Amino acid sequence: MIAIDHIHKAFGATQVLKGVSLEVAAGEVVCLIGPSGSGKSTVLRCINGLESYDSGAITIHGQTVDVRRSDIHALRTRVGMVFQRFNLFPHRTVLENVMEGPVFVKGESRAEARQHAQALLEKVGLAEKQAAYPTQLSGGQQQRVAIARALAMRPEAILFDEPTSALDPELVGDVLTVMRDLAAEGMTMVVVTHEMSFAKEVADRVCFLYGGQIVEEGPASRVLSEPQNARTQDFLRRVLDH
Amino acid sequence: MAYADIAAFFPILLKGAVVTVQITLGALLLSTLLGLLLALMKRSPLTPVSALAGTFINVIRGLPIIVQLFYIYFVIPELGIDLSAFQASIIGLGIAYSAYQAENFRAGIEAIDSGQIEAAKSIGMKSALIMRRVVLPQAIRIALPPYGNTAVMILKDSSLASTITVAEMTRAGQLIAASTFQNTTVYTMVALMYLALSLPLIFGVNRLERFFAKSRQGADQ
Ligand SMILES: Nc1ncnc2c1ncn2[C@@H]1O[C@H](COP(=O)(O)OP(=O)(O)O)[C@@H](O)[C@H]1O
Ligand SMILES: [Mg+2]
Repeated sequence: MIAIDHIHKAFGATQVLKGVSLEVAAGEVVCLIGPSGSGKSTVLRCINGLESYDSGAITIHGQTVDVRRSDIHALRTRVGMVFQRFNLFPHRTVLENVMEGPVFVKGESRAEARQHAQALLEKVGLAEKQAAYPTQLSGGQQQRVAIARALAMRPEAILFDEPTSALDPELVGDVLTVMRDLAAEGMTMVVVTHEMSFAKEVADRVCFLYGGQIVEEGPASRVLSEPQNARTQDFLRRVLDH
Repeated sequence: MAYADIAAFFPILLKGAVVTVQITLGALLLSTLLGLLLALMKRSPLTPVSALAGTFINVIRGLPIIVQLFYIYFVIPELGIDLSAFQASIIGLGIAYSAYQAENFRAGIEAIDSGQIEAAKSIGMKSALIMRRVVLPQAIRIALPPYGNTAVMILKDSSLASTITVAEMTRAGQLIAASTFQNTTVYTMVALMYLALSLPLIFGVNRLERFFAKSRQGADQ
């Protein structure tokens, strides 16, 4: 459903993506791994048009992702995003955060949106926190609210950009559990992560990004256990040492 | 200080106070609208638009308010536009303070971190909706205390309208003092009446600041 075809992207004189191609089928979970600065976030941000790309093409179910086109807003409702730093709306309660998109973007009735939002908060284990404000929650709880907010749009796919990197270690598990459940339900997911055990267990495919290119890709078990590329081997050795 | 004098002066000063309040409210409204416009223009991705706003803000901030008042009262009519002194004082103060308001609003808008705006985009919100639902509600909280301070400053600077013959409170005082030589009584009364208007505003701003400081810690509502 997501097709990335040879995209290039430069920030000023710096080439950040140098011909990245990636196909994600419906229901598939793809993990993007790679060292910091290799372009992982930029790839994700290009997929939902938070960033433009210079050449190549990205399509969602055949529809081109183009920041300058007016259908970009509608397209974004179909591809959710979860950020490293949660980015909840601090002036709204947990429930309001989740209802915001359905009510104000999709025009759902409040009653309908509330019911769905409550069900989603239940699902991420935060039903009793719906009246709280984001600053009253732990990072792990905030991230689960952010996942519920993305799910509230009933997206066809969700992009995760290092969803557990800003969390204290003891809070990582709850967020990964929610993501694991989503994957099991068949949600299409592209996940940038350093959690190799999660990738090994959940990902259908792992792509290793280095210097703006995917230098190795394949089934999670193969890429993570028997990496062929020297860069991948080196990267995995460092990550697993920690 | 004879009570009879006070009783005689008070109604005249009160009339002046009404004009003072009218000028303050008029200038506050105008500076708010212009200030919002300037703040949005300054954030425009179109360089000529933001440059125009920036230049305007700098020019206005670099000019004494009294000179701006003189300019509007004495120069604009020469272009064939009729302005009463009262109208000129509202326009002059409104424009003068729009520059400060623009900076207040801009600071409020820019305090919203870009991650929230990206999150709003990622659920399909368009920029006008993001402004209305995400940026402005938070920016207003941040800009409200400085906004209150600006209101206090406009109230005090409305006395400058006396220089272009507007019969607001300061001018009313001057006129009484000139004809009765009761300087102490008159200016003490004028000072007290300004305080009666400004102190409640100042206390209100202080309360707002404390309230928002608390609510930003998360003890919201
Ligand atoms: N908005 C930006 N402006 C300039 N350079 C950027 C911007 N965003 C990312 N970069 C650069 O692009 C490269 C890739 O960044 P990113 O995609 O965030 O990498 P990763 O997520 O893999 O750490 C980095 O060198 C980074 O400094
Ligand atoms: Mg990144």
